[in-house]
Amino acid sequence: MELLATLASVFAVALLVIVIASVIKEGAPALSWDFFTKPPAPFGQTTGGIANSIVGTLLMTAMATALALPGGVLIAIYNVEFAPPRVAETVRLVLNMLAGVPTIVIGIFIYGLLVVGSGQSAIAASVALAILMLPLIARATEEVLALVPPSLREAGLALGSTRSRTVIRIILPTAIGGIITSAIVAIARAAGETAPVLFTSSIVANVVSTDVHGALGSIPLSIYVNSESPSVHDQQQAWAAALVLLAFVLILSITGRLLSLRTRRQIERMR
Amino acid sequence: MIAETPAPPPSFRRRRPRFGDAGLRILAGAAAIGALLLVGLLVYKVTEEAWPSISEFGLAFLWGKEWNAVTGEFGALYLIWGTAFSSLVAIAIAAPVAIAIGLFLSELAPRSLRAPVGALVELLAAIPSVVLGLWGIIVLGPFLQQHVEPWLADHLGFIPFFSGDPSNVGLLPAAVVLTIMIIPIVASISRELFLSVPGDLKQGSLALGSTRWEMVRNVAIPQVSAGLVAAVILGLARALGEAIAVSQVIGGGLSFSISVFHPADTLAGRIASQYQGSTSDLQTASLAYLAVILLVMSLIANVAAQLIVRRIRRRMGVAH
Amino acid sequence: MKMKKLTAPLAAVAVLALAAGCGGSGSSDNNGGGSSTGGKVSVLTGAGSTLVYPLVSQWEPDYATKDGITITYGAIGSGGGIEAITGRTVDFGASDAPLSPDQATACKGCLQVPWALGATVVTYNVKDAPDHLKLTGQVVADMYTGKITSWNDPAIASLNPGVNLPDTKVTPVYRSDGSGDSYVFTSYLSAIDPSWKSSVGASTQPAFPTGTGAEKNSGVAAAIQSTDGAIGYVAISYIAADSLHAALLQNAAGKYPVPGLDTIAAAAAAVSDVQADGSIPLVNPPASAADAYPMATYTYAIVPQKSNKAAALKDFLMYAITDGQAFGKDLGFPEMPSAVIDHDKTEIAKIS
Repeated sequence: MELLATLASVFAVALLVIVIASVIKEGAPALSWDFFTKPPAPFGQTTGGIANSIVGTLLMTAMATALALPGGVLIAIYNVEFAPPRVAETVRLVLNMLAGVPTIVIGIFIYGLLVVGSGQSAIAASVALAILMLPLIARATEEVLALVPPSLREAGLALGSTRSRTVIRIILPTAIGGIITSAIVAIARAAGETAPVLFTSSIVANVVSTDVHGALGSIPLSIYVNSESPSVHDQQQAWAAALVLLAFVLILSITGRLLSLRTRRQIERMR
Repeated sequence: MIAETPAPPPSFRRRRPRFGDAGLRILAGAAAIGALLLVGLLVYKVTEEAWPSISEFGLAFLWGKEWNAVTGEFGALYLIWGTAFSSLVAIAIAAPVAIAIGLFLSELAPRSLRAPVGALVELLAAIPSVVLGLWGIIVLGPFLQQHVEPWLADHLGFIPFFSGDPSNVGLLPAAVVLTIMIIPIVASISRELFLSVPGDLKQGSLALGSTRWEMVRNVAIPQVSAGLVAAVILGLARALGEAIAVSQVIGGGLSFSISVFHPADTLAGRIASQYQGSTSDLQTASLAYLAVILLVMSLIANVAAQLIVRRIRRRMGVAH
Repeated sequence: MKMKKLTAPLAAVAVLALAAGCGGSGSSDNNGGGSSTGGKVSVLTGAGSTLVYPLVSQWEPDYATKDGITITYGAIGSGGGIEAITGRTVDFGASDAPLSPDQATACKGCLQVPWALGATVVTYNVKDAPDHLKLTGQVVADMYTGKITSWNDPAIASLNPGVNLPDTKVTPVYRSDGSGDSYVFTSYLSAIDPSWKSSVGASTQPAFPTGTGAEKNSGVAAAIQSTDGAIGYVAISYIAADSLHAALLQNAAGKYPVPGLDTIAAAAAAVSDVQADGSIPLVNPPASAADAYPMATYTYAIVPQKSNKAAALKDFLMYAITDGQAFGKDLGFPEMPSAVIDHDKTEIAKIS
């Protein structure tokens, strides 16, 4: 039994290693200064890179975070500080339902809501990504807020402060590490998503653009498109973009994990 | 005199909340309501987009076998088959593997290994699906086609699933990719479940002379079995909804075959590959109808998992 | 105050994002269908045919130097291009398949302007196969319906004496998305094989009875490259770009022309009439065109007659049919006949 469990774990770790090794092996040779600074080349030419996708991903992730972070934190505050238990459970149920919606369905939703009639835009894609990030941030923030010892809240109220002041001035700053962690984890997830972007921001020019009212490229989309191309050059571009994305996502995930551990330890010490 | 403890001024408790208090409460409450409205709006909008197809085909869409943009005949049966098959194969492989990993990380591994290995398994979940799909197209597909599928066809070819010619795209690569995606989800939930088994129950069993494995089998697993079911359901829901990686490796097949080597398609994969290039409004609506089916499946799976979790929590609350 | 420390970076991020957005390429209106002042247009968005994409991608950087207008083109397939322009989510669509009467009505006053002349080519991947295998339309139709299942079938061998093909299984590859190449390919098969016409027919998204589906020309090319025994159809630019073999199809005159600039131009020369809907079908030209390639096709820009980007559209289309044609030489697009260019100029003048 122990052998089987060990084998299973070795198997999972081996899969991780195999995939990462493939990405590094195939992607590293294609990395170059041009790769990071130039947009894709016209058909048949082999210069060019994914600069427009990198800019697009950064902008869209930033906008999505600006939308999802306040909303997610507010919902978490409501659940922990203000809501009666039954209501909080319902909100949690709704958040879990939202988290369970397949991302392709979110893409169709935003397409019908924001793209039909007005055209694609990075803003529409950001809204789709924000919907994806919202439950992640709300759930993780709620966990951290719940960890904050009740004594802190009581102290605030005993000193004559209102509920809101206590939350804003005492609870949130205490939990800030956890909130940032939740944002980091959500960003790592959103940066790698293709489906929400597929219908909302996919028709892009081969130039670097920062105009968010139009469609912008994104790294996962460029991987998706290039992965299905027969051209060896396109496939190499896909691997290299995958390497960049994977590095970005893994670094964020690890940072988030470390930060989360540190925050938990800090809060535990307060108990 | 002693009873005359000075009470706090009555105005303190009955005082109307200052603007700051009401402000945050209202804002936070609005955000919560906003989330509810968002889910409602999503369901409404997607159903509205699907309506032309729903009113055209009704429930017969679910067992319609044709997907023909020329004649305007659309039906989801083969897509439901592809979805069910790939997801069920994936969960059949992933669930035992992931539960075993959960056990390993909670009970069986040396303490020093638990955190690092746990972190590595969770990193598997962080790999974006498009990267897995890229790996699937270029590395996994040809590998399966050249080494695994011929072996399966030679040795197990009498089973209809393994008949047919090896191909680098099809249900098998899709199932493998989905398995890789589901394992970390189920594993991390399983690990938390096993960690939540009360220590005294475990110690009691061991004290009575059972081996580690007997303790796990007779005490830990029954204790958390409902939770494991919930974890598996959540993993399944993840597999059902995966569009990108699946569309990259499954081959976009329009015809039906029982063989797993054969190109096929899933609900989500079909939406990803055809929605943008749809050639008629009815086709767009039919693809949205597929999305409605996906939505219903995922909502059912999620709610089921949550109800199980709620029942566990209640039972645990009572037991203690 | 810690709260301020949180809000400041958040606000900065939000402000940065919005500022970048409203700054950016500084245009008044970037998406089709939106409202607009009379401001200078700096982006034209289009979507559709993957056949014409290689050409458009050469036009993009060149045209940008002329008028400072960025052309954004999404190669999503002809079917998608038609849907996109119908829904006015883009400024222009591109399709190798002309609009059907229903599509024309739905598009509400769209013009079809042939803006390039190209072809769809049948290609294959079989070990030890010659660079140009001879096939007839009937044989190809039989491969796609499953009547011919291996490459050493006598029907193929009889067309290619002296060539020994292995008994590899035939895997037909087709476009799973809405494709102008599918339209050209199935139009050709329908013209040659009546049973194909009645069973599968000609369309941008036919229900192929068997085989593997792939999206876009790039997807089909990739599928063919990676499948031994595959047969498929791609736009002409992808043959050279991806080092694929071009099959030689028998034309009405009984010859096997090599798909290329001359044979495509010969097909265009044989068919000069513009149909009432603005299309010029070139598939299976009559036997009088002895050297015509049988699966040549015009590819059309589909533009709304009324557009708030009319001036930019007209300028771009004029560029495409004049200066832009020169880029076609290395991609397999011969220059369009002058009669067609004149016809185009009249059509383009109608845009307002």
